[in-house]
Amino acid sequence: MSGRHLLVRAGTTVCALPVAAVRRVLRPLPLHPLPGAGPALRGLAEYAGEPLPVLDLARLLAAPPGGAAPCPVTVVAWAGEGAARELVGLAADAALAVVAELPDGVEPFDLTALAGGRA
Amino acid sequence: MSAAAAAARPRPDEAAAGWPLLAVLAAAGLALLLVAQGQGAPGWYFDAFLLLALAAAGLYLPLVHRGEADLAQHTAAVERRAAEVERGIAEALQALEAGDLVTCAARAEALPGELAEAGLRATRSLVLLAQQIQTSSLEVAGAAHAVHQVASELAAGSSQQAASVVEITAAMEELARTAAQIADNAAAQADLALAAQQSGEAGAAAVEEALAGVEEVRRRIGGAAGRAEALGARSREIYRILDLITEIAHETHLLSLNAAVESAAAGAHGRRFATVADEVRRLAQRSQESVESVRSLLGEVAESIHATVVAGEEGSREAERVLEQARAAAAAIAALRQAATDSARVAREISLATQQQTAAADEVVLTLREVSQVVQKTAFGLRQFSHTADRLNRLGLEMQLLAQSFHVDSPHSLKHTVERWAQEVARSLHQWASLERLIEELAQERPFVECLYFIDGRDGHTALAVNRRLLGDREVPAAVRAGEGFTERPWYRAATEAGRTIITPLFDSLLTGAPIFTAATPLHDGGGRLLGVLGLDVNVENWTKI
Repeated sequence: MSGRHLLVRAGTTVCALPVAAVRRVLRPLPLHPLPGAGPALRGLAEYAGEPLPVLDLARLLAAPPGGAAPCPVTVVAWAGEGAARELVGLAADAALAVVAELPDGVEPFDLTALAGGRA
Repeated sequence: MSAAAAAARPRPDEAAAGWPLLAVLAAAGLALLLVAQGQGAPGWYFDAFLLLALAAAGLYLPLVHRGEADLAQHTAAVERRAAEVERGIAEALQALEAGDLVTCAARAEALPGELAEAGLRATRSLVLLAQQIQTSSLEVAGAAHAVHQVASELAAGSSQQAASVVEITAAMEELARTAAQIADNAAAQADLALAAQQSGEAGAAAVEEALAGVEEVRRRIGGAAGRAEALGARSREIYRILDLITEIAHETHLLSLNAAVESAAAGAHGRRFATVADEVRRLAQRSQESVESVRSLLGEVAESIHATVVAGEEGSREAERVLEQARAAAAAIAALRQAATDSARVAREISLATQQQTAAADEVVLTLREVSQVVQKTAFGLRQFSHTADRLNRLGLEMQLLAQSFHVDSPHSLKHTVERWAQEVARSLHQWASLERLIEELAQERPFVECLYFIDGRDGHTALAVNRRLLGDREVPAAVRAGEGFTERPWYRAATEAGRTIITPLFDSLLTGAPIFTAATPLHDGGGRLLGVLGLDVNVENWTKI
């Protein structure tokens, strides 16, 4: 994996997503909530004609709410590894920048650990 | 000669006939004697003369001597009778002198014939006169007393009236002074009210100006608010544009991020693209920052405008309130001005009315002064009248006392009353206790008796009783009750020296202080020895009420 990361913010927490796993940064997609879903799963959206599960990044990071004025985005990224990888949407409060070096205190977010739509 | 002696005597009827016969015989004898001497007459003349002399002597004895003896006897009887009559007349006149008409009548009755009748008639006339005087003087004294009382009351009332008139005059003068003061005050108030009216007019003009000024301020505030509204509308437009710019910057930012993602996917070829994308992202970020800055500034401006609008609205409301207050003040000033006008009018009216009142009060004071003079004159006249009536009362009483010096058989005759009582006392003299009882009973019998007392002339023992209806609860001093020094009193001395009932002049009672007089009568035994004196103090006021 190259060292370039996309910095996103959820609440007051900033985390780094590997650019290689990022497919697209979009405005928040219209969501269809799923009955019985876990709290991290916000619902289903439509992306490129396919259903896309959208996860709440703040829930995943257990980030405290707050921070600067939100400019909400949905980051479409690959989760999982190999043949099991699939596209998921991560709902964040803001997408900040693409950086080569991680700033101090910012941890990379392990997308491979995510089981698409079943996190 | 016996014939001459007989001729010198008074001739009673019985001797009247003897003397002429004797005279004729004597004359005949004398004639015969003279003829015999002159002519030398014969002897029978002498015989005839002797015979005649014998006849005269013989006739003298039966005719003259007996008649003369009878005459002397008769004369003595007549003289006795005359002496009796003289004594009777003297006693009657003495009784009359003492004023004792009862004794006088008794004595007159004893006189002979016409003298008795004349004496009785004269006494009756005197009794009638004395009774008339006693009754009339009582009436005069009573009437004068009543007049004196009424006049005294009237004088007192008149004096009180005079005092009241003086008080009323003083009050009226005070009223007039007060009215004048009120008139002055009212005039001053009228001036003040006029000044207040003028001030009110000036105030009204000032309020009018203030109203116009406040109206202008309100209008200007309204204009400022309108402009602030316009500014707000512009600001909202700017916000919309800023939102648009923000949107564009956001989109640009996302594009730059996606470009960076794509450039990363392109590997080494995308590196320059990534740089451009980063530039674009920075541009978008700066745009966003500028927008935020503008938005912040605009926010401040909007806040200022809002504050201005709010302040304008408050100012407008304040101006409205001030305007309302100013209008109320204008109305109040108008009312005040009207009130001042009314007040000035009323004060002028009060001033006029009180001036008239002062004039009227002055007239009343003048009239009251005249009334006061009249009342004072009346009071003075009434006092004099009262004094005159008092004097008349005194004169009536004095006349009564003079009339009481007559003892007549009448209940109005004090002498009669006290002597009748003295007779009753004389009957009780042998037993002192019954005498005291009698004195007590008699003292209560007549209302005019203030005090009745008997002083035993032999040992100075005194029985004394007072009329409780007159004295009430007053204590009788022990010295008076014991009759100390009574025998030295003028009434006692006068009664014992005169030996009959006396009446004293008026004096003031030691017991009641009221005017009284005393009637005192001495009691004698058969030998003319003094047994005592019965005294009776007469209360003049009750006496005149009989």
